[in-house]
Amino acid sequence: MLGKVPVEALRGVNMKVEAGDFVSILGPSGSGKSTMLNLIGALDKPTSGKLLIDGVDISKLNDNRLTDLRRRIGFVFQFFNLIPRLTALGNVELALSIADVGRAERKQTAMSLLETVGLKDRVNHKPAELSGGQQQRVAIARALANNPKFLLLDEPTGNIDSKTASEIVGLLKKVNIENHVTTIMVTHDQHLARIANRTLQMFDGLLASEVVNQQ
Amino acid sequence: MKTYDILGYSFSAIKLRKLRAALTTLGVIIGIAAIVALLSITQGLQTSITSSLNRGLSATTLIVLPGSNALGGLGTGGNGEGGRGGGTGSGLLGGSSASSSGFTLYVNYTSQIDALSPDIKTSMAVMQRTGYVNTGKIIEPVSIYGVDFNQYAQLYPTTFVAASGSVPTNPDDNQIVVGARVTDPRENGTTLFNAGNNVGVIWTNATTLNIVNETYTAQVTGILQKVGGFAASGPSDTGVYMPLSTAESFFGTNQCDYIIVQLTNSNNATITNVSKAITDYFSGQVTVISSTAVLSLLSTIFTTVQFFLGGIAAISLIVAGVGIMNIMIVSLIERTREIGILKALGMKSRTVLSIFLGESVIIGLIGAFVGIAFGWIIANLTTRILASGLFGGSGFHVTPLLTPEVFLGALGFGIGVSVIFALYPAWRASKLKPVDALRYE
Repeated sequence: MLGKVPVEALRGVNMKVEAGDFVSILGPSGSGKSTMLNLIGALDKPTSGKLLIDGVDISKLNDNRLTDLRRRIGFVFQFFNLIPRLTALGNVELALSIADVGRAERKQTAMSLLETVGLKDRVNHKPAELSGGQQQRVAIARALANNPKFLLLDEPTGNIDSKTASEIVGLLKKVNIENHVTTIMVTHDQHLARIANRTLQMFDGLLASEVVNQQ
Repeated sequence: MKTYDILGYSFSAIKLRKLRAALTTLGVIIGIAAIVALLSITQGLQTSITSSLNRGLSATTLIVLPGSNALGGLGTGGNGEGGRGGGTGSGLLGGSSASSSGFTLYVNYTSQIDALSPDIKTSMAVMQRTGYVNTGKIIEPVSIYGVDFNQYAQLYPTTFVAASGSVPTNPDDNQIVVGARVTDPRENGTTLFNAGNNVGVIWTNATTLNIVNETYTAQVTGILQKVGGFAASGPSDTGVYMPLSTAESFFGTNQCDYIIVQLTNSNNATITNVSKAITDYFSGQVTVISSTAVLSLLSTIFTTVQFFLGGIAAISLIVAGVGIMNIMIVSLIERTREIGILKALGMKSRTVLSIFLGESVIIGLIGAFVGIAFGWIIANLTTRILASGLFGGSGFHVTPLLTPEVFLGALGFGIGVSVIFALYPAWRASKLKPVDALRYE
């Protein structure tokens, strides 16, 4: 809905993603790519129509089932979305504590994840004391905390300078390969989109074309 | 999410906004402190009155007052015979004389009462007037009692005891015994006179056509031990005790104000039967008061007072609750994005609810404990100020009492109000859609 005018953000989108694949979705703003990512990530429900993931209709799931689904998905946002009052370590631990992981294990896992993203020396810093790139690394560590099946990236470098952006994308690619986690990235940057195995073009709520990227 | 993790998260959110949390907690503290202070003073007052009643009016004692509605007067605020003495000075049961009911008790009725039942051990007449003692230095108001020293000492073996001098068993006509505060009205150890000294006793006789101050000089043979508290019945700190025969001639009458009947036992049946026998003998013209009746009446009065005071204090706690609700809604709006993040991380709606309720539980818990402590301090300060005599020379001794019921009640009420008023904001937080919450700027 945009004001009182109904907007069809997505119109009959059908996409297939293999386990462990890295897909980027490219499109101008307003093309419906973020909406699609939110739907896949169970952050949103379709107002009408169906959304099938693994043959299950998301729109029919209750709140608790959606929550279960979200726990198997790692999200990385354009604006990092870290909790400002928690340290880097605290932010990663939070994701683990939500999933009922015990204290000792939580700390160990969070430390090793922060090491993976290259923030071993900054674990006790709060987001305000970290650069954009560092904050996004914390967000990636947090997204990986519960061994997700999916990693959903919503403009992950949209708020970061281009040099750091390519480092972040490199990190995401590494995570995709090493953790074998299915990754879907939304971006409007053609250059960055090419890091994915496949790039889908999106216009006006429709998937327009598909490009297989040469690595 | 585990409970201690939820509480830890709630606590970290409170810590972020210390001043706001402190002010919200202050509301709870004020409410709880008001409840605890008022109730502990009232309960202390009740205990104090009850214990001095027990001291003055033992379970084996009945008091016979002239008039058929004496006890009723006690309850309705003091227009009956018994209610006249409802304050501190002259004693709860001390009416001056039975002028309004038309029925009078006479000193010699004791022998008739003694004969009424084998359960009656003895009975004694008491005369009582408001008067003055002239120490030579000052003239101070006192309650003058005419009693049989021998019987009175038997009836009150622990309180009708001299601290200095002695209580004579066969006193001369001019000998008197006085309460501790008669010679030491400021209670600071400076005595106006000592045992053995002479003082003037003054009574304003208004029963004759010309009002005259009757006076005579008496010798103080003994100064009583300090009784403290309220002189409900029995020896009073501001009492002057003279032999009954002296009182009869001094007051110019052989009417007495009440008759104390001592029973052989305190069985309920005995109390009921003897009370009935006495009432019937005087054709319903007297009221017989037993300690049980007075205590149950007092308990009813105090329960009502406590509900009333507690209710007023509870209103301030409700106001604090509205403050909690207000602040939680502000907090909810500020933290919309945070809630979105938590939900995106897979936090259940129920857990979001618990986090918000957890914050209010922490505020309620801290508020209740600090409030109870403050209430207790306020109660003690208040009673101490009252006892110091700052507002009136005589002073007023109450020890505040914090019962486990009041403690737990205040704790539960504080937490309860905090949680109830946080329910709506917490519920709204839990119902936020993650995508909307994340989009919120």
